[in-house]
Amino acid sequence: MNQYTSTGIQGLDFLLNGGFPTGATILLEGLPGTGKTNLSMQFLYNGAVQYDEPGLYITFEELPGQLYKEMKAFGWDIPALERENKMRVLCVSPQVLLEQMETQNGLFEQIINEIGCKRVAIDSISLFQIGDESVETKRKTIYKLRNILRKFNLTSLLIQEQTAAQDSEISYINYVVDGVIRLALKDYKEHYRKRTLEVLKMRGRKIVEGEHIYRITDHGIHLLPAFSMVEDKAHLYNATAITTGIPRLDQLLDGGIPEGSAFILDTNSKANYKYLAVSIAANRLLAGENLIILLSSLSTINDLEFLYGLYGVNLKEYVAKRKVFFIEHYRRPIPPGFEEAIIDVSDLKNEEYRQATQTVLLPYIQSSVERNEKWFVYYDLNTIVSQRGKDFLQTYFTEEISKLNASGFSVLALSNFTELGPELSSFIERTSNGVIKTWVEGSYQYVQLLKSPMGKMSIPLLVENINTKPYINLI
Amino acid sequence: MLQLNPLKVECTLFFEENPYTFETAEGLASRLGRKTTELAMILEHLVTVSILEKIGDGEQAIYRYLQPDTFQFQREAIWD
Repeated sequence: MNQYTSTGIQGLDFLLNGGFPTGATILLEGLPGTGKTNLSMQFLYNGAVQYDEPGLYITFEELPGQLYKEMKAFGWDIPALERENKMRVLCVSPQVLLEQMETQNGLFEQIINEIGCKRVAIDSISLFQIGDESVETKRKTIYKLRNILRKFNLTSLLIQEQTAAQDSEISYINYVVDGVIRLALKDYKEHYRKRTLEVLKMRGRKIVEGEHIYRITDHGIHLLPAFSMVEDKAHLYNATAITTGIPRLDQLLDGGIPEGSAFILDTNSKANYKYLAVSIAANRLLAGENLIILLSSLSTINDLEFLYGLYGVNLKEYVAKRKVFFIEHYRRPIPPGFEEAIIDVSDLKNEEYRQATQTVLLPYIQSSVERNEKWFVYYDLNTIVSQRGKDFLQTYFTEEISKLNASGFSVLALSNFTELGPELSSFIERTSNGVIKTWVEGSYQYVQLLKSPMGKMSIPLLVENINTKPYINLI
Repeated sequence: MLQLNPLKVECTLFFEENPYTFETAEGLASRLGRKTTELAMILEHLVTVSILEKIGDGEQAIYRYLQPDTFQFQREAIWD
């Protein structure tokens, strides 16, 4: 089953890494009104129209005439496709179908050959399960049905009516089929309902896990995979991305963090964010940018010198070239060679703080900008809050980000949203172009891209410690 | 004056609207909401006038619609 059969539903094909495994039998389950019939018909219609793969829709209860009318509402002219031998809507009872499927050169085989059928939908197999037969007999029936569909290499959807009682029970059918897709209707914001699709099983194909929202539009089912957001084209335009040094993160960010963008690194108290932050900042230096670091109470220059050294950056050399500066809020000993790079703001009031940083840095920034050099600023927002207060952060951060963006500076701001509170966090998140979150849960640390200029989000990725650069691996 | 049997018309219209129906007399009676015994006679008649085709015998016999000329060639290919 290396080949796949595209459903033609863009979002669903994305979740399935291309489509259903060709020849697979897939259970499509859901409560009434979730769109099982629509999705199945769309699978067949797209097959016939887009991929030249004729399809057979088998309905046990609903009459084809009614289905033609319903599908016409989506602009799908099924009778026209039947006239072209690209589709059939077969109305039959389950017993007759099974008997004909078992019969050599029976009706089923004849129709398959007549239209060169590649796709099948059966609506619904729940009717095979009604009756006095034992579970074993019913299982055998479904097993035979699957084998016949597989024998003809038909990529098939078996619709199953789900009931509330079945919700927690895993039917034997789930074991027999190659794939399981569940459609659901869920409460959303009190007065609304959202439709979700989840691929629970798909033998032989890599899938995107989780529940994904879909809508039934004028053109059929439109599925929007989770973790996809709107691109910030203004920020992507002409922006050069610089590697974060972490391959998986670069992959998610289409190469790295774009020049001139502001990213937040949101951590909780247990998470080790240092490798992530230092890898990003060190790679900016290696790419030729200048660096301003706002020191936290937890990181001394000696610590940073060691950490940056792990990423091939000799901080002292960069300091000597006036390419690295530190904003220091705490009275701590300064290691030799770093004196000229320290902007001591420990005793300064908020207004003096702005002025002091600008006075010291402006001459260097102006001359470097003339040389077309870029700057990268690493903030510790928790330090700003503890030293200067939440009000200061709120006004300062917006102005600062706006000014830095206008000058083409890139920013990485370390933050702890939980400590900052929901209002300030939400404000900072809005002001930024990207948010990377890292946290510890149970015995594992996770990293998740929650916002990015390219509109991508990621699932929570596990953090694995490794012995070589970049010292973390995201899985 | 030509007398049309309402059940015959109903049955023919059903097959016209649902041309790929393959069903037993009992199954058709259920879909049309009619009595099997009454429908069976109509079905037999429609077979004799080549509107329907009967596959098999007895209660398990299946009826299918014979579509107008455009499908004649395919039908022969299937059933001959």
